[in-house]
Amino acid sequence: MSEPDTPRSSGMAAVARYALAVACVTVALTVTALLLPNSFFTPLFFLAIIISAWFGGMGPGLLAALLSTLSIAYFFITPLYTFNFKPAHIPQLLVFFISAALVSSWSTVRRRSETLLRRARDEQETKIQERTADLKQANEQLQAEIAERRRVEETLRQRADLLDLTHDTIFARDMNHVITYWNRGAEELYGWKRAEAVGRVSHELTQTIFPVPLEEINETLCRTGRWEGELVHTKRDGSKVVVASRWSLQRDQQGAALAILETNNDITERKLAEQELHKTQAELAHIARVTTMGELTSSIAHEVNQPLAAIVTNGNACLRWLSNDPPNVEEARQTVTRMVKDGHRASEVVGRIRAFFRKTVPQRVQVDINQLVEDVIAMVPSELQRNRVQLQTELTDDLPPVVGDPIQLQQVLVNLVINAIEAMGNVSGRRELVIKSGLYEPGSVLVSVEDSGVGFDEQNAAQLFNAFYTTKLQGLGMGLSISRTTIESYGGRLWATTNNGAGATFQFTLPTSN
Amino acid sequence: MNAPTNNNKAHEKSKASEIPRVSIVDDDESVREAIKSLLRSVGLRANVFASAEEFLKSGALKDTACLILDVRMRGMSGLDLQARLAAAHHKIPIIFMTAHVSDKEARTRALQAGAVDFLYKPFNEEILLKHVYAALI
Repeated sequence: MSEPDTPRSSGMAAVARYALAVACVTVALTVTALLLPNSFFTPLFFLAIIISAWFGGMGPGLLAALLSTLSIAYFFITPLYTFNFKPAHIPQLLVFFISAALVSSWSTVRRRSETLLRRARDEQETKIQERTADLKQANEQLQAEIAERRRVEETLRQRADLLDLTHDTIFARDMNHVITYWNRGAEELYGWKRAEAVGRVSHELTQTIFPVPLEEINETLCRTGRWEGELVHTKRDGSKVVVASRWSLQRDQQGAALAILETNNDITERKLAEQELHKTQAELAHIARVTTMGELTSSIAHEVNQPLAAIVTNGNACLRWLSNDPPNVEEARQTVTRMVKDGHRASEVVGRIRAFFRKTVPQRVQVDINQLVEDVIAMVPSELQRNRVQLQTELTDDLPPVVGDPIQLQQVLVNLVINAIEAMGNVSGRRELVIKSGLYEPGSVLVSVEDSGVGFDEQNAAQLFNAFYTTKLQGLGMGLSISRTTIESYGGRLWATTNNGAGATFQFTLPTSN
Repeated sequence: MNAPTNNNKAHEKSKASEIPRVSIVDDDESVREAIKSLLRSVGLRANVFASAEEFLKSGALKDTACLILDVRMRGMSGLDLQARLAAAHHKIPIIFMTAHVSDKEARTRALQAGAVDFLYKPFNEEILLKHVYAALI
């Protein structure tokens, strides 16, 4: 029976329940009549009533009670097999019936409450099962999420480990320059551990010295997303470090700036080596200048002797004007005025030579290229005259200035001019030196020194600029080598070509200052 | 032109003529003006020229009794001018001067070609004056 606890469920079920009551009583009657006649006859009937009430409900229970009472009255109370029992048996039968009815009733109630209890329990069970299923599902989701997060974390950790593998210093900072990530390279270079660095303002921590104002860098960074340059940082131990720094800007999906990734390479050693190299080059250039001056000795003597001759002669003239009778003071005054002028002139010559000789750290200043040519021409008049060289200049007006050290650039041009003059030393025909200046291309100025000398063998063209290559009896063969190094250090180029006619042209370019 | 009138040290011959008989050719203005002043201080008059070409063009050649000449100049050099005068049979006494310290070759050539002297700048003014007086006698 799938639905024993719904007694009023249907007509068929009701008939079956009442039939059960009749059957139970019949069985109880039969068994009692056969096995226990005349004696202990009620228990089996009680059993029949309990079963009927239990499985059938209140109605079948009461029917079983009635049928049992009638059966006892008919079969077991004398006179047997009639309902004509003595009045003395009426209380007996009444007690039985009431007891039977009560048993039936209790059994029904008991059964019903038990059914209700079971149903409640079953409902609760169902709910618990449902809830358990929900919890289980939630738990599974949670597990999946945890697994996913672990996987992401693992990936991130692996990536961070990769960043730790590099020798480069890498750190990230937010838009307020507060450090959010600090790799092992940064720990090693600067000396602060990750925990110490994260949360600090990077430029304060490392005392950054910028090549240009920070606002300018930020402007470039925001515009292009990148910036590159050299920074000077101070390490934890107080020592300075020069780094080649690359900044990248991270943006969110809306394009708003989120963070800056800074990758730094320690180039302190390289910078020191570069400085050392520059120093050596400057020393070499100085030696070359001294050598050049050796070649210019007669020019120097000439340049100094001219004003000296004028001063001495004026001095003698002055003495004679004063010793005249009467002394000619006006003429004497004029000679002294000229002496003062020539004294200054001699001093300027000496000053120019001293500047050329001076051992200084090369400067980077704006240089007017035409002024440079004029200065150099002023240094070599004697060389030109002695070698009977005709000088022509074709200077372009209003050239933009170049950047460089005036003395070093003078040295280059003096070198080229002296080389040109010497190249014409044994030429019997015309000796012509042409110095030109002009724009080479936008942002670049050209100076050329053209001679009508012996020229050079194209095969030796490559050797010309080698150190210690020389065709002269005197000289170190350093001039052109140093000149090229100098020009290249200012971003220019120096080269030589042979002329169509006679001689050679040496020329150099220099970038303009803007 | 300058006219020295009150110089008692001036040579007699210079007084006799109003025309300057000394010519100075040097491309250095300071030097030629200084020599001119020196000569004037002793009562002599001089013409000054910045180049050999200028001197030849000026027509002063015919009156020049003494030539003070720089060796190295742009264009025609002192030695070129000397050679040119010799070729034209002008026997003018020439006093050379140079600011170059080692001009032995030029000195030899100049003296062989008949120069009065070859002076290195800065020079002794008494020697110069001595040569000038000698030339003007």
